[in-house]
Amino acid sequence: MLRILSYLLGQGVATQRKYCPPLSAEARGLPVVTDAPCSESCNACEDVCPTKAITVQGKNVTLDLGSCIGCSLCYQACPTDTIAESKSTQRATRTRDELLLTNDPVLRAQRKSPEPTEPNMFRNSLHARVVSTGCSATDAEIGASGNPIFDIDRLGIHIVASPRYADALMVTGPVSKGMQTAVLRCYEAMPEPKCVVALGTCAISGGVHKGGYAEANGVTELLKTSIFVPGCPPHPWMILYGVLLAMGRQDMCVPDSQEPVLKNAVAAK
Amino acid sequence: MKLSTRTVPIESLQSEIKAWLEEPTNRISMLTSIDGAQLVLLMLKPSERHAELWVSEVKENRYTSLTLSFAQLHWAERAMWDMFGIVPEGHPRLKPVLLQDPYPAGYYPLRTAPLTGADLQVLDREFHFLEVRGDGVWQLPVGPIHAGVIEPGHFRFSLMGEYIQNLELKFGYVHRGLEKRMTEVPWQKASFVAEAIAGDTSVANSLAFAIAIESLLGVEVPPLAQALRTVALEIERVAMHTIDIGGIAGDIGMLGILQSFSRFRGIALGMGEGIAGARFMKAFIAPGGVRAEPRAPISKVLGNVKNMREELKRLCPMLLENQSAIERMDGIGKLKHALANEFGMVGVVGRAAGVGYDTRRHYKQGLYPNLDCPIAVEPAGDILARTKIRAKEIFNSLDLIERILSDLPTGAIKIDLPDVLPSDSVAAGIVEGFRGELIHVAFTDESGKIKRYAIKDPSWNNWTCISIAIRNNLLADFPLCNKSLALSYSGNDL
Repeated sequence: MLRILSYLLGQGVATQRKYCPPLSAEARGLPVVTDAPCSESCNACEDVCPTKAITVQGKNVTLDLGSCIGCSLCYQACPTDTIAESKSTQRATRTRDELLLTNDPVLRAQRKSPEPTEPNMFRNSLHARVVSTGCSATDAEIGASGNPIFDIDRLGIHIVASPRYADALMVTGPVSKGMQTAVLRCYEAMPEPKCVVALGTCAISGGVHKGGYAEANGVTELLKTSIFVPGCPPHPWMILYGVLLAMGRQDMCVPDSQEPVLKNAVAAK
Repeated sequence: MKLSTRTVPIESLQSEIKAWLEEPTNRISMLTSIDGAQLVLLMLKPSERHAELWVSEVKENRYTSLTLSFAQLHWAERAMWDMFGIVPEGHPRLKPVLLQDPYPAGYYPLRTAPLTGADLQVLDREFHFLEVRGDGVWQLPVGPIHAGVIEPGHFRFSLMGEYIQNLELKFGYVHRGLEKRMTEVPWQKASFVAEAIAGDTSVANSLAFAIAIESLLGVEVPPLAQALRTVALEIERVAMHTIDIGGIAGDIGMLGILQSFSRFRGIALGMGEGIAGARFMKAFIAPGGVRAEPRAPISKVLGNVKNMREELKRLCPMLLENQSAIERMDGIGKLKHALANEFGMVGVVGRAAGVGYDTRRHYKQGLYPNLDCPIAVEPAGDILARTKIRAKEIFNSLDLIERILSDLPTGAIKIDLPDVLPSDSVAAGIVEGFRGELIHVAFTDESGKIKRYAIKDPSWNNWTCISIAIRNNLLADFPLCNKSLALSYSGNDL
């Protein structure tokens, strides 16, 4: 007993003080679309994308972050820095539309920026029931977000066992046919007010599973979803950012510089 | 590895398998079909680093079940009915294992051969649990959604008081149709699908896929790529074993110890990020090599290895030498050696019951089998034995990572591959994932397209263990026993 206590005390404080800083230099970030136009007749990104998340039309490209598994092949292939890497961990959105990234000025102008979030009823604490329906990588990252380094519990966020105590239904995985009834019943068992958080690309769109016979096309087809957290799996900071967005407390995070990593600019220097 | 094919008449299949298993280290590693018109068995002879494929034509869509003679095939035969509609006659418990009730009767997703046999019964997919009858016997249903953040599956306990008389598993909740999806995408993009089989085993799955494709093409990848693949595989083992031991501590109630293990899992995932650019090392291994050079300086990763070894040397004994923890683990959830053999248990579960089988000693994967890799074996077969095996394997893997990284070869990380795979060929990738023997088999058609992709996760062999190990144990010991097996639902359900 004393041995354990002295060991634990000797470990010091591992918890990070700032919320949702950018990823480390070593980590591959998710892609962003910059203002740069595509070069004529280049389809490099569309060709390499494993989930058909990218469509190129002339000088414009549209990338659906909700279908992106973060393989990084697109921004490695892009010759014009139109698609570039972003180290930001603050990529979750409140609408599905915001995940459609484009350099098309017309489409960009049409898109309404979402109304600012008012502090809501979950502001001071949010209890979440996680339902796993996929490969478990995102579940492991939820586990990690509760570890001493990220420690989401200090923000009043708790993962609970029963849907009866839950404010948010967090779904990981593509919700294939076998789990659809269970997910719906879990949602029905939750008291109002409640919200649905799609954690990870599979939960948003089905990811690599989309369109198969198992109907694994994500939770967004099944339930009205309030928060979309892309990534395969999302980094624990990305998960935390999504939850803070659901709570209307995203302003707690460090300012997001969102500067894309431009590889051609670096090469030019 | 490339596989030689042998045609075995279905009438003599039983006696042929029996003869094959007379050598105790020989294994039946897979029973499946290509299109529904035949049975395919992958037979392994690890002692000679050999594997071969047996093909038996199925007549009138039915054959005499092999389960009564070879108990380990009981789920494979159920899956063949699910996916191909082939009926194993006389199977003692024929019910779905992959496709449950939401799928209509008569729907067989992998079947492409015409459904013959006029008298074919279309069996419904309703799941009937085995009933245990008697005074005071009660049933406890658990799942598919569990209390914690875990994958879904249903456990049906039959209990007498607090003692478990029978545990039946109902799975298939995370069936995502992966075997079919592997044949729907171009093979150049299929590694991303392979990584989704089980997210915690993404390295082993993408490696097994890459080996299968490279074997079809008959190419060798450069030494640096082999070394980095091996490092990635061992980092995955370290990371997952670390959190699995932590989970044991957590279930016993030693939450401080759990959090420490959880932190070291983070360090291991950070090593993965340094080597592969992502914590779960996705999109790293591809047919032909690896996709990128290590992102962190090797010295930094080596520093983390050293640091982690020192820390774990202090931390592990706090669980494994703690008397109250030992009493929760010793003699609980016991699997007998004979049953482990009979059911073909693999990986940690097998090795903790004295089955000294580790594919890294026998089959080509990364630098193995030429890299001398120690095997940890314990005889007891209980929770304590499984936890000890994991601890030993963490230290062995850390040593291996250190050895490889201290002497990294130079050169290319990738070779260019042709666009088209050879026609009418078959090859397998056999990899020791952190849970055990993982096998992928790819069959190509006359145009070189993958026509059938078969996957066998280690959990497929081992799930039966939980029903065996927990019998006559207390219900309260179930969570700990389950944690000590740490099996995959998604890898099983595909």
